[in-house]
Amino acid sequence: MNNTSASAGKPATLCRLKQAVADLEGQRANLGLEHPALPFGIAEIDRTLGGGLAPSNLHEIAANNWIDVGATFGFTLALAARAHDRRDVLWIQTDFAALESGNLYGRGSDAFGLPARTMLILKTPRPIDALRAMEEALRCRALSSVICELPDDGPAADLTATQRLTLAARESSAFGFLLRHRSSPLSVVADTRWTISAAASRPDRFGGLGYAAFTATLRRNRRGPEGQWTIAWNHHEKVFSTLSLDMAQAAFDRPDRAQLACTG
Amino acid sequence: MNDAASALNLKHGAALADTRAMYPSIVVHNADRAADLALLEAIADWCDRYTPLVGLDPPDGLMLDVGGCAHLFGGEAALKDDVVTRLARQGLQACAGLADTPGCAWAMARYGETWVVPPGATRNTLRPLPLAALRIDPETIATLAQAGLKSIADIADRPRAPLAARFGQSLLQRLDQALGHEDESITPRQPLPSYVVERRFAEPIVLEDDMLGTIEHLAEELGRVMERREKGARLLQAALFRTDGKVHRIEVTAGQPLRDPKRIQRLFVERLGVIGDECDPGFGYDVIRLSALAVEHIDAVQSGFTDDYHANELTDLIDRLSTRFGMQRLTRQTPCNTHIPEFAVANIPAQLTRPDDIALIDRDTPPRPLHLFARPEPIETVAEVPDGPPARFRWRHVLHEVAAVEGPERIAMEWWRDEEGHALTRDYFRVESRQGGRVWLYREGLYGRETPTPRWFLHGVFA
Repeated sequence: MNNTSASAGKPATLCRLKQAVADLEGQRANLGLEHPALPFGIAEIDRTLGGGLAPSNLHEIAANNWIDVGATFGFTLALAARAHDRRDVLWIQTDFAALESGNLYGRGSDAFGLPARTMLILKTPRPIDALRAMEEALRCRALSSVICELPDDGPAADLTATQRLTLAARESSAFGFLLRHRSSPLSVVADTRWTISAAASRPDRFGGLGYAAFTATLRRNRRGPEGQWTIAWNHHEKVFSTLSLDMAQAAFDRPDRAQLACTG
Repeated sequence: MNDAASALNLKHGAALADTRAMYPSIVVHNADRAADLALLEAIADWCDRYTPLVGLDPPDGLMLDVGGCAHLFGGEAALKDDVVTRLARQGLQACAGLADTPGCAWAMARYGETWVVPPGATRNTLRPLPLAALRIDPETIATLAQAGLKSIADIADRPRAPLAARFGQSLLQRLDQALGHEDESITPRQPLPSYVVERRFAEPIVLEDDMLGTIEHLAEELGRVMERREKGARLLQAALFRTDGKVHRIEVTAGQPLRDPKRIQRLFVERLGVIGDECDPGFGYDVIRLSALAVEHIDAVQSGFTDDYHANELTDLIDRLSTRFGMQRLTRQTPCNTHIPEFAVANIPAQLTRPDDIALIDRDTPPRPLHLFARPEPIETVAEVPDGPPARFRWRHVLHEVAAVEGPERIAMEWWRDEEGHALTRDYFRVESRQGGRVWLYREGLYGRETPTPRWFLHGVFA
């Protein structure tokens, strides 16, 4: 909690200063004054992002590997769940993406933190339809996030398309999440670009699978440096927590290390 | 038989061999009843320009209820002439009769000389006509002819009881229907719209912009009418009447009752964008009609509060996307009362539901994946014991080592739906791979009891 309050106070000042700079430069920028940024709740990430994920912007999230697709959905849903207010969330998926990665499953996403009744699902035949629909949806002020899932590396979402999406996103306070099944080498206009890998979770008290864990790599960040963090998502309380520190401790407790320590 | 054949004095029912012998050069085509009916329906569609109440009378007739419509065309005679000349321009020969009753009109079109029967003159006009004008079967006509009864007057003046006893009730029913003693209704082909507005053009319009502009004007008119009655439309239809007789009908559905002309017009823009190629204006449209097929009550609301404003934006977006991609493609998920994963949620079109109507999902159930495959993907696994969890599995050609497992969660199929008893029990495992990827695997069939070689599937992915 300490972290959250600290990160909420400081970046606000930072945002105001950045907004002032943007105004001086004559750019129209939404740096979290009109709509507050979405903090991760992890001080280090929020510092890197200048307060958190910027609303009215496009964020690209790609899976690192095929097995990481689930983690990528999880990361996106977690962000959408944190951004969720009373407004709905729209998940756009092309038909081919649904064949590749399955259909969104209300019972799973509901338990993950995003109530199923607020979720609108749109299936489109082609990626270009999905992008057009996303552009329209981003303009709509009645949505808190718009997620567009493209199969493969989503070649349809190129520089021009993402530029259009970004401009559309400026008109409302919604978050735009562009989801790719594979990271794309295309240059895009996005506030942040993430690559997500699944990370080994910490088992829960009963030895079962613990909270979902991701290794999130911030590949591109318009507000600061890049970075990489391993974080876990607590879907009960809808908060992220860091995992890297505990992982290091866990690694030290492995039997082979223990043996080494004894013999050494 | 066409006109040329009639000129040669050929008769219906003549043997083909005889005819060929008389005129060797004759060309014969088989009758295509389906095509005839399709043509009749197309003509019926076109006749919608005169009245919304058009009924089919196969094989070669149409019934139009023009009650209350005739004055729009300059009177009954003018209406009749208009129908006949316009059809003639399309190359169709038509005989029309207009009378107080459908039966009399039918008779006039086929046997009559005065084609428009003035009100009240039905009985006298019908009297001299042959019995065939009553729409009765040929056998009855032949029997009546043997008794010397040949015209309608012959039976209309006779006592009814003996006729009914000899020929059944249907003869008298037909007579009564023709004379207007018994009611006969015309079954309309199209649903009757609640509100209709239309515009006719002296010169047909071709451009899409003109068309959409007209639709917006019509929507304004429609909106005014509906507003007076506190109604809004859920289902709207634009009928575009092409000069050559083809009619294009475009329907749009709205999630909430609608009467804002701008929004109505935008929905038609969406719809036209999808089906654009099917709507070829050809030589242009001369009538455009907008009808509200389904209406619902809406209260006059005071707008301007921010919340309502957003809600409106959402309905608007839902309507537009549903119109463009189809209602089934924009959905919300609602939980269903079954434990079989693939049936445990149902997709309901977002236009037909509101978020508050969707039941809350019970969160005390075992974890479920975020994405579920419509068809579970077969995988290869290696397990330590046949009915234990897998130690490693191969999915899409990649081998994954299993680091942690939760399960099994046994889900039996619903025997009350499975009549043949083929459905196999599934044992679900939540599996985390060495890299951290989590998936939902299941083994189909209980080892040894249901099947000797259970197969493995991957059903969904977790975060």
